[in-house]
Amino acid sequence: MKKGIWQSGLAIVAAAALVAGCGTNNSSSGSSNTSNSGNTGNTTSTSGKTIKVGLVTDTGGLNDNSFNHLAYVGMQEAQKQLPNIQTSVVQSQSESDYVPNLSHFAQNGYNLVIAVGYLMADAVQQVAKEYPKTHFLIIDDSITGIPNVASAIFQSQQAGYLAGVVAGMVQKDHLLKNINNHNTVGVIGGQEIPPVDSYIAGFQQGFHSVDPTGKVLVEYTNSFNDEAAGSQYAQNEISQGADIIFPVAGGAGIGSIKAAQSAKVYAIGVDTDQSYLAPGTVITSAIKRVDTSVFDTIKAVQDGTFKSGVNNFDLSNNGIGIAPLISGLPKSVTDAVNQAKQEILSGKIQVSATVQK
Amino acid sequence: MIFSNPEIWALTLSMAIPLALPAVGGTFSERTGVVNIAMEGIMLIGAFFGVAFSYWTGNAWVGLFAAIVCGALTALALAWGAIHVSADQTVLGMGINIFAAGLTTFLLNTLFGYNGTPVNTPKLPSVSIPGLDHIPYIGVIFTNQSVLVYVGIVLIFLSHWFLFSTRLGLRMRSVGENPLAADTLGIPVWRLRYLGVVLSGVFSAIGGAYLSIGILNGFTSNMTSGRGYIALAAMIFGKWTPLGSFGAALIFGFSTALGIVLQGHGVSSNILQMIPYALTILALTGLIGRSTPPAADGIPYEPRR
Repeated sequence: MKKGIWQSGLAIVAAAALVAGCGTNNSSSGSSNTSNSGNTGNTTSTSGKTIKVGLVTDTGGLNDNSFNHLAYVGMQEAQKQLPNIQTSVVQSQSESDYVPNLSHFAQNGYNLVIAVGYLMADAVQQVAKEYPKTHFLIIDDSITGIPNVASAIFQSQQAGYLAGVVAGMVQKDHLLKNINNHNTVGVIGGQEIPPVDSYIAGFQQGFHSVDPTGKVLVEYTNSFNDEAAGSQYAQNEISQGADIIFPVAGGAGIGSIKAAQSAKVYAIGVDTDQSYLAPGTVITSAIKRVDTSVFDTIKAVQDGTFKSGVNNFDLSNNGIGIAPLISGLPKSVTDAVNQAKQEILSGKIQVSATVQK
Repeated sequence: MIFSNPEIWALTLSMAIPLALPAVGGTFSERTGVVNIAMEGIMLIGAFFGVAFSYWTGNAWVGLFAAIVCGALTALALAWGAIHVSADQTVLGMGINIFAAGLTTFLLNTLFGYNGTPVNTPKLPSVSIPGLDHIPYIGVIFTNQSVLVYVGIVLIFLSHWFLFSTRLGLRMRSVGENPLAADTLGIPVWRLRYLGVVLSGVFSAIGGAYLSIGILNGFTSNMTSGRGYIALAAMIFGKWTPLGSFGAALIFGFSTALGIVLQGHGVSSNILQMIPYALTILALTGLIGRSTPPAADGIPYEPRR
């Protein structure tokens, strides 16, 4: 009996150790040991000083080929180009990891903590108030009124619009082979949240500006990492006649692109140029420069020019854009995209961020 | 209208298989008296190593085999803790789930980098059953499904026959009902429990590999997305029998498919996503028939000799 108690105690300790290690920690600058005491005080950094940058990903993780990945790219770029930058990454396994992961960096004296994603907004507000000396950057949500929090907001609807124009032209004029006569395209969102819906809304508007009678199917997987679901949703839209699939669903969207590839239809990538995922299938990608926003903020913290509040990224500062088009499309498509860009920049076209039901 | 779209039945089957296989696996484990909630973690292990070996060897079948081996090894760890050390089986299972989520993400990043698994990873073939695929309306169910769908269905029926119509199956069930009596009759309780748990690892790993190299050819972190837990519900819903688990998995698969298809008809995605979980709660509260677990389920056994 005594043995039994000892053993179940052991099991609980083992399980607790596992729980404690649940965020995968990839430190690229040596150790980031939690038990390191005495180094919790923060100094406001000035130019050239060593600064420590911590990145907390959303559940999609660093391999989402999408916005978490891009934030990491931006951080790597900063480490390469700027002197004395130390970086570290923690990936969130579930939404309950946000607060502990953000606090982990703040506690350990990191100068800048980057929270990737709209879903972390509440966690950032909470942790930022507890650690007023740490700088925070949140991607995709506007937090204002907290002096140590900056937000990067992307006008993704503009990128969606440009992608929609391309899809509309391909669809209306059958510019690629195997385009059917259903005049239908499909969108797959990860969740009904503003950073996803803004892409979709722009895509709908851009598509209809070229092809007013075409149909845009919109579905949501409610998951950013269920690749299998992403694939099944795409298959369902394809069975309804859609032959261009635009997933805005992080890792789940990779499954959608693969489904499009095996069904020999087309796809449009999101956040970064995703043509390498399925060459010949991905027509173009709607791009959002998360990497630029991360790089700029790291630089600002180092230079001592960190500004709290909302930073807007859109076509005018190249914060969003569109990837090179698939080969074989006529020049008229490039021209149309450029014209749409000009009209958005001049204000002639206002792109809505609200999805049409 | 929607039900006349045969696509929904094909989706049902392809979404039911990754629930049915781990559910049948769990049935083996619990029938021999070891509570197994580690299906989710073992699925992740299977999904990851399936992709990894498929890529390294260039052969998806080797990937499937590696997934099975790794799943069995993980289950062996669970079995050792639960049987030899008499540790708390729920805590052990949860530990394996969390461990697997961390391990697979870590290995994905260290072995393949942040671009994820290579896009040219081979996948298992998709096949149509000649003859069946030409039947109007239901033919689409047997058209272009992953080969693991058919393998899975055969395995499920075999499992049911094995557990309820063979001597070994009877013995396995006996150690889950009354290990003392079985031991008295000379039945090796520990060995049969090991067999049950390892089989659960094998089935769960195939379920995971189905996701990663059956319908896709890549791994993303946490790609099983809670299916191992739904499988647990399917096992209970199916009253700890392979065919019952399959039936329950089909119902869950159908509600998932319904969720996918109905969204195109203007029904809110948030409500539709609740259907499988609402059904699970109904199943667990016993509103759909009572489910009684094997009598010695979760109770460690010290051999009397």
